[in-house]
Amino acid sequence: MHQKQRKGFFVLSLLSLPILLIMTVMLTGAENAYGGNANGEEIYKINCAVCHGVKGDSKGEVCYNTNVEKSGKEITTYSRDFTLGVFKFRTTATGCLPDENDLKRIISTGIPKSFMPSFNDISPEEKMALIEYVESFSERWEEEDPCDVITTYMPNWVGKSYSVEKGKKIYQDMKCWECHGDKGDGAGPKADKLKDDWGHKMVPFDFTSGALKRGTAPEDIYITFTTGLDGTGMPSYEDTLGEDDRWHLVSYTLKLMGR
Amino acid sequence: MKKLVFLALVLSLFIVDTSDARKKKKKYEVIDVTNGGSITGTIKAASKVDDPVMKIETKKPDEVEFCGTEFQSNMYIISPDLGVKNVVVALLKVKQGKAMPEKDYVINNLKCQFEPLVGLAFKGNNFVIKNSDALFHNTNLGIQLKGGKKRAVYNLALPNLNQVLKKKIKTKGVHSIKCDAHPWMRAYVYSSDSPYAALTDDSGKFEITDIPAGTYKVLIWHEGFGEVKQEITVEAGQATTLDHTFSK
Ligand code: HEC
Ligand code: HEC
Repeated sequence: MHQKQRKGFFVLSLLSLPILLIMTVMLTGAENAYGGNANGEEIYKINCAVCHGVKGDSKGEVCYNTNVEKSGKEITTYSRDFTLGVFKFRTTATGCLPDENDLKRIISTGIPKSFMPSFNDISPEEKMALIEYVESFSERWEEEDPCDVITTYMPNWVGKSYSVEKGKKIYQDMKCWECHGDKGDGAGPKADKLKDDWGHKMVPFDFTSGALKRGTAPEDIYITFTTGLDGTGMPSYEDTLGEDDRWHLVSYTLKLMGR
Repeated sequence: MKKLVFLALVLSLFIVDTSDARKKKKKYEVIDVTNGGSITGTIKAASKVDDPVMKIETKKPDEVEFCGTEFQSNMYIISPDLGVKNVVVALLKVKQGKAMPEKDYVINNLKCQFEPLVGLAFKGNNFVIKNSDALFHNTNLGIQLKGGKKRAVYNLALPNLNQVLKKKIKTKGVHSIKCDAHPWMRAYVYSSDSPYAALTDDSGKFEITDIPAGTYKVLIWHEGFGEVKQEITVEAGQATTLDHTFSK
């Protein structure tokens, strides 16, 4: 992002020195590259550091929290270490950095199930400054080119009974049940031994609880198994399932959630 | 005013310079290497290390039968004269040299194990990920970062027998591979951004050839022994020796 801005800046400077001059003054005067006065570091320290750590390494005072699931299972969730540069809730393929809009969304909605609060009162300008600051914790943002955003168009047959039937078979064939359980209750044969990439115990989602982290829209579910949740055991099925099959699977999982 | 214009000019120069520097950092340049040097050597263990046997635990009855209950980890394959197999020796941050090998890297899920256990991949080629079992596997590949941390690169589901997925090799360094469905499965791949990387053979020997003369940083990595980095100077047309002894 920085780089693009700088390049554009350079082209301008060639066109006309006076413009460059004005921009230089603007850039040095502003606190961030978006031309606003919001201070990302300050906003971060006030709102985020308590969990994500002053250094972004997840070593804040409240770095984890334990919930009890509907099934009685305990889930301990750790706040994210931004120095890793790993994100779960992306609209980009597995292994990619998230899109800027993914981050904006997470900050607005929070992740209620993971005790991350929503920050609706942060203005759009402040949000951009905050995101820029969060990105500064990992060199990934400087080094990598952005990935394409996966767009979703939900067909009108999602939720119809024939689609639910097809989805049921796909849930079996794709072995979702090995982690998420035959009945979608999160009690598959692999469920007990799952760990995330950082060694913490992971609990696969219990569909019957319906308490999703990303969001409850059909598109959110579609995106979850399309992109995978990096860092957790939840893999990407983008290369394994065609788009229609993925929507059938959405139909079935909506049913599992009683929707 | 003149002063300001000058300042702006200097600033614009600085801006051009930083973006350029970033680009340079990324790119490996292929040149004709004539009269290059080489590095040969042997990686040894200070003493014999027992190779651990690892346990297989699964709740799926069909897997108990198919995967077995334990396996030889092959973490320490050490020859009678203490040569260590499967050590990665790689030059770091090489800016120019011979052409990158054009070779895809195959990761096979076979009999509830990854095959191979340790290997070398070269950036720009593909990972070819295969499932040779009639079982669900997922290939969770990530870069090993400092302090035992891991960064996901791909986590791909392979639910079907004979499924093959192709993915670009975009990242460099030591990567670990896990299957979340079978926690005992493990493998490592070193992805190199230059052609100058080698893996030791059964007797712990390796060779890296056609290196432009110069001083390099070299990484020596092993799953069990860990890693060391050191400097080495390669002279034109000469073979430089690099031996190392790991102790536990
Ligand atoms: C009360 C604790 C808490 C606070 C305060 C908090 N977070 Fe989080 N945050 C979490 C937890 C826990 C996770 C990990 C959730 C998970 O993995 O399920 C997380 C994850 C994230 C993620 C990763 C999302 C992804 O896709 O993986 C981002 C980005 C993030 N937080 C940004 C912020 C920002 C920015 C702020 C401040 C405005 C903030 N958080 C404040 C607890 C918190
Ligand atoms: C190897 C185990 C594994 C397999 C196989 C698997 N999942 Fe998951 N899944 C997980 C784990 C673990 C989580 C929880 C991640 C978290 O809470 O951060 C999860 C979470 C989810 C979520 C919840 C996301 C949210 O917003 O909270 C959905 C939906 C989901 N998986 C769908 C599927 C579907 C559909 C399939 C089959 C196509 C599938 N999963 C296969 C392990 C798995």
